[in-house]
Amino acid sequence: MLKQLRASAGTVGIHTALVIAIIISSVPFYWAAQNSIKFTRDTIRSTPTLWGFDITADPYRKFWFRSEDQSMWQVALFVLALAAVISALVWAARRAETTWPWNLGVALTLWIGMQLFPRVFDMNREFDYFINSVYVTVLTVIISIGIGLLAGYALARYSGLSGAVILIVALAFRALPRTAFVLPYFIVAKELGILDSRLVIVLALVAINQPFTIWMLRSFFMEVPREIEEAAMMDGATRLQAFRMAVIPIMWPGIIATSLFTMLLAYNEFLFVRVLAVTEWTLPVAISALTGGESTTTLTEAAAASVSITLPIVIVIIMFQKHLVKGLGAGAVKG
Amino acid sequence: MTRRTFGWFAWPSVAVMSVLMVFPLVTTVFLSMTRIFLRDLSSREWIGFDNYTEILQDPDFWSAFRLTMLFVAIVVPAHVVLGFGLANLLDRVTRARGFYLAALLLPFIVTPVVSTLLVRDLFDRGGLLSWLWEVVTGDPFVIHAGNVKWVIILHGIWSITPFAVITFFAGMQTLPEERIEAADMDGAGFWAKQRFVVIPHLRSLIIFVLLITIMDAYRVFDSSFVFGQSVGKSAHALSVYSFNTALNAQIGRIGKGNAISVLMVIGIFVVLIPFLRKSYQEQIADR
Repeated sequence: MLKQLRASAGTVGIHTALVIAIIISSVPFYWAAQNSIKFTRDTIRSTPTLWGFDITADPYRKFWFRSEDQSMWQVALFVLALAAVISALVWAARRAETTWPWNLGVALTLWIGMQLFPRVFDMNREFDYFINSVYVTVLTVIISIGIGLLAGYALARYSGLSGAVILIVALAFRALPRTAFVLPYFIVAKELGILDSRLVIVLALVAINQPFTIWMLRSFFMEVPREIEEAAMMDGATRLQAFRMAVIPIMWPGIIATSLFTMLLAYNEFLFVRVLAVTEWTLPVAISALTGGESTTTLTEAAAASVSITLPIVIVIIMFQKHLVKGLGAGAVKG
Repeated sequence: MTRRTFGWFAWPSVAVMSVLMVFPLVTTVFLSMTRIFLRDLSSREWIGFDNYTEILQDPDFWSAFRLTMLFVAIVVPAHVVLGFGLANLLDRVTRARGFYLAALLLPFIVTPVVSTLLVRDLFDRGGLLSWLWEVVTGDPFVIHAGNVKWVIILHGIWSITPFAVITFFAGMQTLPEERIEAADMDGAGFWAKQRFVVIPHLRSLIIFVLLITIMDAYRVFDSSFVFGQSVGKSAHALSVYSFNTALNAQIGRIGKGNAISVLMVIGIFVVLIPFLRKSYQEQIADR
């Protein structure tokens, strides 16, 4: 009886400690979310207004839309319609045999929605920055993972000295300060007149992320038994066919985990975009310009911008949270 | 796998790394020994080590150096200890575990520039924590040149701890139940179990986390840059000092900025060479 009581008191203690931890980790988000729906008059008082303030969508409207009288109801309706189409596709995918045409469908719907948005509504430049963010993130993930998979697989299977050397040199590169790369990029890009190209930014991000990608993918490949591709090669498949048909299908958890980290890196990158882009900004640079120096942006609008930038990444991470945890466990096995 | 096949598989990645990492690095070293200005990139003058001697006499360099060292020295150990503690707590709950994990992950996944702005709003006049500070001490908290380093460090710990939490948590999931039970059988207390069972099991993960976060903390940029926008040079870490020296429109000394980068590269290698040597030996032994 006493033991049980002590055990349950212990559980309560653990939950209390965890609740305190999540309060600390989420307080800034709570504060920003609250500020983003306030009127400015409620943010400049000396005592913070915690409740009982009037709610408004104005900060969001100012951040995303150019015209003053943009109806938020129309926007909400459009977003809802888009969400409905996507959920219908996702729902259908769960019942269908193959999933990739549906995934393609979801991606296409999102893409069309993104193209339609500025045609239907009078969007600010911030929407272009959002599109740039999506473009840079998606391309960086695809290219990084594409070449990283090949290299990671080769490094997991090859036992020659050059493999070890490549891994260690890559690890050393992972340690270097970003400024050591970005200044030469800037000069070369400026001389060649390719500054402000999104593709250059993508290539730069792929390069600096490559060491991490090959290490992480390699540690996933190490867990795939050699017998799998050896069996396929016995049946007459070439190494590349065995890799594509036998190894990749069981690598998906590793691919997803690595993609998530690459996505975070590309979406959150500030320094490279700040240096290599003149007008083709992504969202982190846009919000830093919005809030830094002599800018007249109000606190509420900055908060709305912060929430808008954070939400997409939070949604994706929550969807794939399990993969992220698994990835860190596996990524470190051979670390 | 034969050497030839290895080459076919690995070349795209190796090519990208050689062209976009080795080449820029060589360029950085070369540029660090020239005098070259942002406003006119075409005129370069070879000046040997002049940039370096100038940097070592620059008080701004030493201020950035001290801030960076303080940041690494506090953030790295603090986040490992906090991360280990929180992972332990998470490991002991079954209810609402996914929810806790998701909430704890937030500071790690959010864009660093954005999270710095959020923390700034909390601590600045009118912010929630600034007001709480006023309730406790009588004066509202205001971020200024003197205390900005502590806010940067707090933000650093807050944003990097989740990385340690999920890594250690994932590692604890692979700890066999029997080993804990055996320790219980031997009458080991809580601390003894941590010391002799859990920590040895997580050893390689702890080294991994230390390695990654020493690298990341050493080149801290985003938060230092954002605070630098509002309080100036006293918020600058080494990366921002280098960036600012090279690309600030008023200064624009690209040669000197590159020299700072080269000094940073040397600095991190001095720290990492034992790690790199050890990993190399492990790779060779694994073959």
